[in-house]
Amino acid sequence: MSGEIAIVGYAETVIDVKTGRSVFDLAGEAFAQLIEATGVPKSAIDGLSVSVAQSEASNPFYASYMVDALGLTTTWLHLAGSGGASVLTGVAAAANAIRAGRCSLAVVIGADAPTTSHKGVFGAYQPEFQTPTGIGGPPGMFGLLMSRYEAEYGLDRDALAKIAVTQRQHGLLNDNACPKLRKPLTRDDYYASRYIADPLRVLDCVMLCDGANVTLVASVEVAEKLGLRKRVTIRGYAECNNFAGANLLADVLETGFAVAGPQALREAGLTPGEIRTFHPYDDFTIAVMLQLEQIGFCEIGQGARFVEATDLSFRGTLPLNTGGGQISAGQIGLGSGGTNLVEAVRQLSGEGGARQVADARNALVTGIGVIPYARNWSTSAALVLEAA
Amino acid sequence: MSDDVALPKPGTYVDSQPFWDGLRERRLVLQYCRDTGRFQHYPRPVSLFTGKRNLEWREVSGKGSIYAVTVMRVPGLGYGGKPPYVVATIELEEGVRIIARIVNCAPEAARIGLPVCLAWEPLGEGVYPAFELATGRP
Repeated sequence: MSGEIAIVGYAETVIDVKTGRSVFDLAGEAFAQLIEATGVPKSAIDGLSVSVAQSEASNPFYASYMVDALGLTTTWLHLAGSGGASVLTGVAAAANAIRAGRCSLAVVIGADAPTTSHKGVFGAYQPEFQTPTGIGGPPGMFGLLMSRYEAEYGLDRDALAKIAVTQRQHGLLNDNACPKLRKPLTRDDYYASRYIADPLRVLDCVMLCDGANVTLVASVEVAEKLGLRKRVTIRGYAECNNFAGANLLADVLETGFAVAGPQALREAGLTPGEIRTFHPYDDFTIAVMLQLEQIGFCEIGQGARFVEATDLSFRGTLPLNTGGGQISAGQIGLGSGGTNLVEAVRQLSGEGGARQVADARNALVTGIGVIPYARNWSTSAALVLEAA
Repeated sequence: MSDDVALPKPGTYVDSQPFWDGLRERRLVLQYCRDTGRFQHYPRPVSLFTGKRNLEWREVSGKGSIYAVTVMRVPGLGYGGKPPYVVATIELEEGVRIIARIVNCAPEAARIGLPVCLAWEPLGEGVYPAFELATGRP
């Protein structure tokens, strides 16, 4: 169809801790893989989106240095700064730039090396009003959020364990998953994992890692001209930033996905029941459950029941983060949203190998960005993809 | 709180001096929107409700209840307190939430919905707002 935008290529590095490598080197490795895999001449790429990286957070010229590092000359350059949602917001911005004629073939990079070099300073209000409370960052905030969920709906540990174990089984089949995480995990392991911010356990959480992922975005016309056969079409996208930002008494369990999820699905003409594979942003297991509820896979408060009743394995009815997700593949700092995106594109391209989903006709991928003071996360982004 | 943790510099984000002045007198003083009659915390450069700067600072009662609560088993980044310790989101009677430590109670005793009142914990030479369970207190 005319005007359609597709993801026409993808690549990623192995995700690992303390690689000792710069984010430019990691992004370059993924970029070179992309060039090799797609056969696209470098000169045809005229757009670039880069997600803000913790390892280059102090560098105001980061995006410009990246375009230079890769030897690209572009008519569109974008620095995506929505935390973990940056790769998804980058893909959406690239699609818009292509529709507007600002570029025709855009690379979207999610790369970071925070375990080698972390230069993020989450300053602003935090030194005066957050740090002295001892709550720290995301783990403490998610401990608070989970406590609220427990009080409202009860916290079904078996469901959270199932999310962790299912994703780990998927991660074991993913050669790009962080080697430290490629060990079998059982429910007993989950229950034995220590609390870090009650009721949050270690195995509810992601682990920060280094790595890079890239996707290539083009109009279907340009893809045809370049002979790119691999095509995963963008069918719907929506985001919500700072959900309920002016309501200081908002229900902390309500997220922007209540808005962005249904909106992206409507645009794609799909219902949750028609989604074949689900690739939610997974910084914490409870975030997966909240998204199932908010996007409408089940009723509010019924996430655990849905998880228990659904086969979430790659062979199942709603395969969940078939590459292991970030929780079992590792969180590439703020480039992490691309990990689950690349896996979705891989599945829809029929390249899932040992974990290939049968009839992988569509995917819902999400992004979460930034944990604000005493509320739910800031950015909720939802992207619906369809196999060509 | 240990001595090797950097102390916050008042007024870094917005002009928050009244908050810090209040602490010296053991009073909790929060930002208030004159147009809507509502408090907001943490303080912002504009009213969250109107987008205007018709803001002032007013003392709050310090009475409220626990909205969410966690036991920190690993100290939060930049915090020198020794774990485990309890941190909660407190919903104040004035209709605003504040994150603070719950002190003088066993971790398992701090439960959602319980009433709390203002307490203080040391911060450098001064104090920082904390809360304690109001149960059984006058």
